[in-house]
Amino acid sequence: MLTIRNLHVSVEGRPILKGLNLEVLAGQVHAIMGPNGAGKSTLAAVLAGREGYEVTEGEVLFEGQNLLDLGPEERSHAGLFLAFQYPVEIPGVSMVQFLRAALNAHRAAKGLEPLDTADLMALLREKAALLKLDPSFLTRSVNEGFSGGERKRAEIFQMAVLDPKLAILDETDSGLDIDALKVVAEAVNALRAPHRAFLIITHYYRILQHIQPDVVHILADGRIVRSGGPELALELEEKGYEPLILPA
Amino acid sequence: MKLAEAPTLSLEAGASHLTEVLRGYASAEGLPPSLREAWQAHARQAHLEALFLDQKHKEDWKYTPLSFLRRPWKLAPPVQASPPVSLAFSGQAAELVLPSEDLPALRSLPAPTSVWEALLTPAASLQHYALSQEGYFVLAPHGTGELSVHAATLSVAPGTQAEVLVAPSGSGFLLVRLHLDAGEGAQVRFFLPAGGGAHDLFVYVLVTARLAQEAQVETYDLTASVGWKRSEVRVYLSGVQAQAHLHGAAIVGQGSVVDHAIRVEHAVPHTASNQLFKALVYKGGHSAFQGRIFVHPHAQKTNAYQSHKALLWEPGAVAYSRPQLEIFADDVRCTHGVTTGFLEGEMLFYLRARGVPEEQARHLLAQGFLEEVLSRVPQEALRGWARQAMGFAE
Ligand SMILES: Nc1ncnc2c1ncn2[C@@H]1O[C@H](COP(=O)(O)OP(=O)(O)OP(=O)(O)O)[C@@H](O)[C@H]1O
Ligand SMILES: [Mg+2]
Repeated sequence: MLTIRNLHVSVEGRPILKGLNLEVLAGQVHAIMGPNGAGKSTLAAVLAGREGYEVTEGEVLFEGQNLLDLGPEERSHAGLFLAFQYPVEIPGVSMVQFLRAALNAHRAAKGLEPLDTADLMALLREKAALLKLDPSFLTRSVNEGFSGGERKRAEIFQMAVLDPKLAILDETDSGLDIDALKVVAEAVNALRAPHRAFLIITHYYRILQHIQPDVVHILADGRIVRSGGPELALELEEKGYEPLILPA
Repeated sequence: MKLAEAPTLSLEAGASHLTEVLRGYASAEGLPPSLREAWQAHARQAHLEALFLDQKHKEDWKYTPLSFLRRPWKLAPPVQASPPVSLAFSGQAAELVLPSEDLPALRSLPAPTSVWEALLTPAASLQHYALSQEGYFVLAPHGTGELSVHAATLSVAPGTQAEVLVAPSGSGFLLVRLHLDAGEGAQVRFFLPAGGGAHDLFVYVLVTARLAQEAQVETYDLTASVGWKRSEVRVYLSGVQAQAHLHGAAIVGQGSVVDHAIRVEHAVPHTASNQLFKALVYKGGHSAFQGRIFVHPHAQKTNAYQSHKALLWEPGAVAYSRPQLEIFADDVRCTHGVTTGFLEGEMLFYLRARGVPEEQARHLLAQGFLEEVLSRVPQEALRGWARQAMGFAE
């Protein structure tokens, strides 16, 4: 589904990703762990198409398509979703307005008619309930005044609405209380499917106890330095990064 | 075919020309002597002649392009240039206190049943100004090159409510000078919409208001598309618990000037004021905001808030913002913030990353930016009008 080959990325002339390789197959859940500043969010940003990141080498294929050629909205239409580490507030734009525009753009890209209001609201209410979000949040401005945990849940809510093929979760578990973490994990697990994949960026073993990954990677200094099964996350939890990153 | 160009005056000549025109209006020439005196008295109260005297030297006009002064404005016919009037609102009905009952122009004007109905009726069928139970309104379709003057003193009885609507349309220059005396606990709302795409529409609204104890004034200044508009609002909070809530939302397009000059004076303890202004400025547009808060030495427990945000849509947009806080009391809560800047890339990316195409994302963000003000407009009809005029109707 996603193939990253020898990806080099610079920000303001400074190399951040330095030859990253990754292969994610449909149906899989991959976890990416790594120290602060390793380049995890940079990877997420480059995949989603944020400006200001210069790809100096390498390629990214998403379902056979060259992902880097597409604008952010086209990547979204193709089935890519990024749950942001720091979701931004959008004053004056309600969640309903926002998701109506997003969903209808997705539908237009597939040659479908816009959803009518009743169907749209039914869908949004259903997914809000799944994330245990109060329906009133649909009419509030996007992320405005949301608590840290509410923002993270709102990201997963949007993911559930947009039904992506590949979802990248950038530290969605940070800032969630224990119950909210369960709610989010359940929503992700409910969406696990043979045609869908997840890339979960996290610092904590805890979320991976709820969402069993197929593969765990350690990203350090712009590269994947180790990959393994779920036990790698446990090992990290016990020993910390240093012994695992340092060449033996 | 070559269009005849409007003769242009120098700024000085334009200012003295306008001053002369207003002097003519105030002198009520051509009226029978019995009417003339009252008319003149009202006009004097409005200080009309003083408005344009060397304003380009005045601090208050520092950021305001004065291109309108270059036109040789001539006074519109009497129906459009309404007499200076005095209006008393007492709750049951509004009473028009005229210089005389014999003024033909006013008598012949039927008052529509609702101010809001009037706003939504096509301009051509409207009277130029009228009065209803709810309030007073000025809707002035003009001729190009004509100056239409409206001066009114509104006195609102204690404990009553009134609404004032100034909704210019068409082209020409509309000058509105209103003074409000709000009695104890009175509540008055001013709605100042302008829009509809006319670039030869020039509007100057000057509102002064004096508020007694517990009185409240609200203004909603909504500008979609005009050539030049200046709204000057000066509120004097002279009674405890008096409040002023002033709002503005503007779209400032190519060749357009939108200017707010606000002055709020807290003269006694325990008063509150609130200024919330937003302008979305396109290339070639010019937005100016001056917000002055003056707190008298003994006006303790004043609560004053001011926010002005200008969103520059693209390079070539111009916005000036000038907060002036003069606070002479020490137990005061005063917060203010002015920001001027381009669209945040982070917001745009967030929307696009969810699949919203760039153009549409920018449109949503523009709407969201102004919605903070629009959502506070307490009249659904006007809210709808503004969203439509600003291009945000769903
Ligand atoms: N826009 C930017 N401008 C300048 N430097 C940047 C920018 N984005 C990322 N960097 C730098 O790139 C490096 C990697 O940052 P990134 O956010 O990808 O790390 P991370 O692995 O997600 O860390 P964390 O675990 O703290 O979230 C950091 O040194 C960061 O300062
Ligand atoms: Mg990060």
